[in-house]
Amino acid sequence: MNSEYRIQNNIILKTIRNSKFVILNLIFFILILACSCTTTYKNLTKEELSNSEIKNIPYALPLSEKTLIYKTDINFYKNDISGLLIIKKMDESIYRIALTTQFGLKIFDFELDHGILNVKYCVEYLNKKIIINTFQNDFNLLLMQFEVKTIYEIDNSIENQKIWQFASGKINYNYIQNTDSEKIEIINLKKRNSEKISVGLHRYKGNIPENITLEHRNIKLKMNLKLIQ
Amino acid sequence: MNKILVTLLGLILFYGISNAQEEDFKQVQDITKAQTELAKLSENTQSIQSKFIQEKHLSFLTENIISKGEFYFKSPNQLRWEYSEPFEYIIVFNDKNIYIKDEDKISTFDTESNKMFAEINNMMIGSIQGDLFTDSERFDVKYFENTNQYLLELNPKLPEMKSMLKTIKIYIDKSNISVAKIKMIESSDDYTSIDFINRKLNQTIDNERFNLK
Repeated sequence: MNSEYRIQNNIILKTIRNSKFVILNLIFFILILACSCTTTYKNLTKEELSNSEIKNIPYALPLSEKTLIYKTDINFYKNDISGLLIIKKMDESIYRIALTTQFGLKIFDFELDHGILNVKYCVEYLNKKIIINTFQNDFNLLLMQFEVKTIYEIDNSIENQKIWQFASGKINYNYIQNTDSEKIEIINLKKRNSEKISVGLHRYKGNIPENITLEHRNIKLKMNLKLIQ
Repeated sequence: MNKILVTLLGLILFYGISNAQEEDFKQVQDITKAQTELAKLSENTQSIQSKFIQEKHLSFLTENIISKGEFYFKSPNQLRWEYSEPFEYIIVFNDKNIYIKDEDKISTFDTESNKMFAEINNMMIGSIQGDLFTDSERFDVKYFENTNQYLLELNPKLPEMKSMLKTIKIYIDKSNISVAKIKMIESSDDYTSIDFINRKLNQTIDNERFNLK
């Protein structure tokens, strides 16, 4: 009876020790993960900017007075949508963003007003709250229209990068300049330091990128834009 | 001063002319006669080869977006739109197949799986051959005319079509009874117009035109 009790006790003790080991391992793993995440830009010189300094960021796409027309392919889960994306600045922080098919019929027509996307028209299969919110995030990122709390300028000279980081709660918006080309070539949105949306901007024609690719990490959505006007 | 006057006069005249194109259409009195005339449409257009200019009007833009290209049609159901501006893009409808050539990449779909394309295809062929305005189940049709053209105004009856388009206007030349222009007006009054220029009717078009490889 006694020995049986000891054996049982031993098993329990072993289990506790084992689970302790697992828990310790888990904590250790989480710590490593947390460290590796926060190391991004951590050791770099970070300078806080005032809101009025936003205009010094060398990103001209939101400021273009010219109507921008991009040939656009959108891959959204199993949907392939292609046509012309028209971006027109109407006023300070007010944009019209429309997508038409090759034949001219509209797929959507949005107004982005101080970061809020209003639907003027949208084909039924895309006119869902979750999709509209996604477009709102995407165009806010592309046109730098989100609400800003704190702005930092970060010097990442090892990578030849200068980063303008907009921090808003758990979300960071990063505009990354290649210091050789002096153009913003990468934009991303990070939530708790994990990348959710990444944008590549290439082949600048003056101040306007001819190629833009926007990709979501957690949903199957990819946009490919080529400037035609 | 004179220059200003001339410019002003020119502007008034230009406005007058461009407006007149829409305005001088009057409701057709003898609809039966017009319908008999228009019945020739399908026979007259067994095939078309033509240049086209497409204009997209968006209310928030001051200038329309212009696309250009070549258009081929062969009865009963082969259609090729070959855009050359603002970029090269080819879309071919051949019976139930849709081929798209975009930057050297060819994709194939079928009309069953792509309802929007199927609808556009039906609308185009239906406009050119005249089946669309005899389709009283799907459209309310109003007949207008001036000295040179018939203008048919089609208002969709079905909800899914209605959500896309408010009116389709089809302009038909009286001289040879063939479609000169199609204007698709959306509920927001934004529109797309397609002008067919230098139309060659009933000439042989090789079937290979309607196949993309």
